[in-house]
Amino acid sequence: MSEAGQTGASGPGGVARSRRMLYRLRTSWREPTALIGILLTLVFAYLIVVPITTLLYDSVEVQFGDQRRTGVPVGGLTTYYFNRALFSPVAGDLFWEPLSHTLSISFGAILISLSVGGVLAWLLGRTDLFARRWFATALIVPYMLPSWTFALAWRTAFKNREVGGQMGWLEALGFTPPDWLAYGQVPITIILALHYTPFVILLFGNALRRFDSQLEDSARVLGASPRIVARKIILPLMLPSLMSATVLIFAKCLGEFGVSYVLGLPVDYDVLATSLYRSISSRQPGVAAVIAIAIMSIGIVSLLIDARLVRESRRFVTVGGKGSMDRQTALGRYRLPATGFAAFIFLISVALPLLVLTMSTVMRVPGNFALGNFTLDYWIGSGLEFVAFPNGILLTPDLWQATWNTLKIVGLASVCSGMMGLLVGYVVVRSQVRAVSIFLRQVTFFPYLVPGIAFAAAYLSLFAVPRGPIPALYGTSLILILALMSDQMPYASRAGISAMMQLGKDPEEAAQVAGAGWFRRMVSIVIPIQKGALVAGVLLPFISGIRGLSLFVILAVPGTDVLTTFSLRLLDYNYTQAANSVVLIISAIAYFGTLAVQKMTKTNLADGLGG
Amino acid sequence: MPTIALREISKRYGKGGARAVADLSLEVADGDFMCLLGPSGCGKTTTLRMIAGLENLTGGEIAVGDRLVDAAEQGVFVPPEKREMGLVFQSYALWPHLTIEGNTDFGLRLRKVPKAEREARVTKVMTTLGIEQYRHRYPSQLSGGQQQRVALARMLAVNPEVLLLDEPLSNLDARLRLEMRTELKRIHREFGTTIVFVTHDQWEAMTLATRIAVMNTGTLQQVGTPEDIYDRPANRFVAEFVGNPPINIVDPGGDDGLGRAAKAFLARRGGAARAVTSIGLRPEAIHLTRDTATLPAGDLCGEVTLSAVLPTGGSWILELVSEGQKLHATTHAAPVWQDGEPLHFHVAAEAVHLFDGEDARVELAETPGAEARIAG
Repeated sequence: MSEAGQTGASGPGGVARSRRMLYRLRTSWREPTALIGILLTLVFAYLIVVPITTLLYDSVEVQFGDQRRTGVPVGGLTTYYFNRALFSPVAGDLFWEPLSHTLSISFGAILISLSVGGVLAWLLGRTDLFARRWFATALIVPYMLPSWTFALAWRTAFKNREVGGQMGWLEALGFTPPDWLAYGQVPITIILALHYTPFVILLFGNALRRFDSQLEDSARVLGASPRIVARKIILPLMLPSLMSATVLIFAKCLGEFGVSYVLGLPVDYDVLATSLYRSISSRQPGVAAVIAIAIMSIGIVSLLIDARLVRESRRFVTVGGKGSMDRQTALGRYRLPATGFAAFIFLISVALPLLVLTMSTVMRVPGNFALGNFTLDYWIGSGLEFVAFPNGILLTPDLWQATWNTLKIVGLASVCSGMMGLLVGYVVVRSQVRAVSIFLRQVTFFPYLVPGIAFAAAYLSLFAVPRGPIPALYGTSLILILALMSDQMPYASRAGISAMMQLGKDPEEAAQVAGAGWFRRMVSIVIPIQKGALVAGVLLPFISGIRGLSLFVILAVPGTDVLTTFSLRLLDYNYTQAANSVVLIISAIAYFGTLAVQKMTKTNLADGLGG
Repeated sequence: MPTIALREISKRYGKGGARAVADLSLEVADGDFMCLLGPSGCGKTTTLRMIAGLENLTGGEIAVGDRLVDAAEQGVFVPPEKREMGLVFQSYALWPHLTIEGNTDFGLRLRKVPKAEREARVTKVMTTLGIEQYRHRYPSQLSGGQQQRVALARMLAVNPEVLLLDEPLSNLDARLRLEMRTELKRIHREFGTTIVFVTHDQWEAMTLATRIAVMNTGTLQQVGTPEDIYDRPANRFVAEFVGNPPINIVDPGGDDGLGRAAKAFLARRGGAARAVTSIGLRPEAIHLTRDTATLPAGDLCGEVTLSAVLPTGGSWILELVSEGQKLHATTHAAPVWQDGEPLHFHVAAEAVHLFDGEDARVELAETPGAEARIAG
């Protein structure tokens, strides 16, 4: 037999080479893993790489109707859109002003949420605050609700005559809020700050908890006062987690649409996301592409910075043995004021907004607290004064249609992404073909770098017209399902990869040696063991998808309205009560859903925030 | 039971990467309890996984009996699930979602063994391994030693012709390890299975194996019975890897007390077949005495100072110094000497291991030289 090998090596080599090829085929491509890997590669190339490429191309390709302005026939190349968005006289309105608004809102929100969240994290983690455990859950609630819930509440309370429809509460009480308080930068910043404060509480609180108290003890033993310990030991070691929170909040603010739309539109206060939305709705796909690219680039750069910071901070990761920080600082006479502070934050970030929203849906005239003014008509009544919605919201077929759409679209997308995530995890961990596993790992992570609204724009530019055998998908539920699924892939594939890594090869190889073929191993070993991971991988994206807006607002049409876009449409028509009711419904689903998932999977919301 | 033949197998990870296993040829005879022994990273686990079919070959071939199961040059590859072997993983790799019974009868179910026979076989193998009472529990409810037995039972249930064990005892505590060692010997006897097992623990290899293959950096160093390996190491690596405390290495060209003693010994024995560049002396082969009169003729003799005595319970490790060079000796009789006392040592000629410039073993010349005594 070794003779055969020698002939192959010294002879013409044809036979030997083909046998070697055969061997490689038999070993590397023996199992469906390879085939599935190829299929997944194709699917994600089409669902992620192609839309982004199309978007990039759209920014330099002459769009229909722009031949005269660009002087180039449709389909030719042009720098017109870049010029228009970045350098023309309207560039200020289209791009630069929204950019500066986005930046100032982000930095304002970061500043407030870091200081408020940092203090709260410390109070919750390290002091004898009253009702500490209760606050630890209660203060996280804003994160579970859609951010523009609070924007609607704000608008309900502070709105003035700039916008039609019902009066705001303050206005009804005789005090008309000025524009700067009712709309624009101030309220947007405050709301985003309150919305992302839980983020800081979780990230910073986690870091505080993991902090090895022996480091602190060593400083204490050497004679450092608590104040010096905090400044010289704890803070420097906490810096990476603070930086990380900063960048993540920034990336989220970048794609934030709902709040800016609700509170910015009345005074033409545009941010990048709303400017993108306007360009799309005024049928300027070229300019929209440029703005989307800008959002995407800023997003990518900031997350790369974060990745770098995280890597850097590994250098001084402290592996604590008995690391937990159970020691509490007695607040003494500050105990009551500190508790008051936590309660105040809870009041303005959860209690008041929800109360305002709820009240607004049961009051005929805003700001009138007489008993006769209260009614359940807006929920279950009929014969209302609105043209399009004569019945209470619960009796309106459109609501149920939107609910059904939400369940169908978000549900399908989550089931798909959960299963795809596990499959991607399997292929990435098992594939013998390295190129496939590297490509899959990276391509499924890519949407994470792209804010949802830019991703939606990419989908719009790919699927608005028929391309090859694929018909135009705009206006169908399918485009929403595909876009949402791809948007969720970073989380799904990460969860899948880590679940498969954790499982390791051994259990499957043991089954293989015992005589089990691929399908048998999948059915009897891999899937049963990963059942929990699969359930979590479907439910978590489902909850976050239900309250998602920025992806849908670009891609949904009235026929495919989900709850979020439905409420936005109601708001556009100034049906305040109806819009607020729908948002309350979404909030309730998101909140109770999160609780249920946490209970079922025994996971913690904080775990999903890792990065 | 078939023999397993590895013929010049090699494994390379990635193009141009270092070879994890290089041109390894090894024959495992029917009924062997073969141990692959070597430091971590020497390619022993890779070799085992190649036998199982979990790693493919870069070159060479593997045959089980007269069936070729793996041959890179000929495009032959029998997948692991068709090789009818058993493999016990270092981590045990029990399936957490199946009971002990479910783990054990998995292979039998795959082979569509009728229910009655399946139960009989599972019960038998479980009883043999003493885990019958846990059959309805889940792996997480068992201790490490019990899990280990389940991992074994799972593979033994299908009666494999070849049983492969990857560091099977490394996750057990010392007492359980001893117990499992006798258990493995018993299984080998009772089931008549050919066993190949991988370990980095020389003690485990010596106590269990009928034959040991010592590996280093992907190449085979020596194959032989435990006695062969210990008493006639094929090269310096094997000599140094096996034995605890490790063998003492003396440079016969050195201009110190030990070097001179070694040189004198070689001269008296009429030299060796090839130039000797290092000499190995096992600690237990070093005998000490105060009295030069009792030094046997023909032994390697020299002078040392006792610098420390380390009791290990039942035996003693003695640290000896000669002009700054250290030697370790072991003894089972309580030492009667004081720290700092000058002593004579001698090592029987057949216990002196000679190595050449390439570290390969050199035999002493057959005819001993002049029967000179060292003058007192």
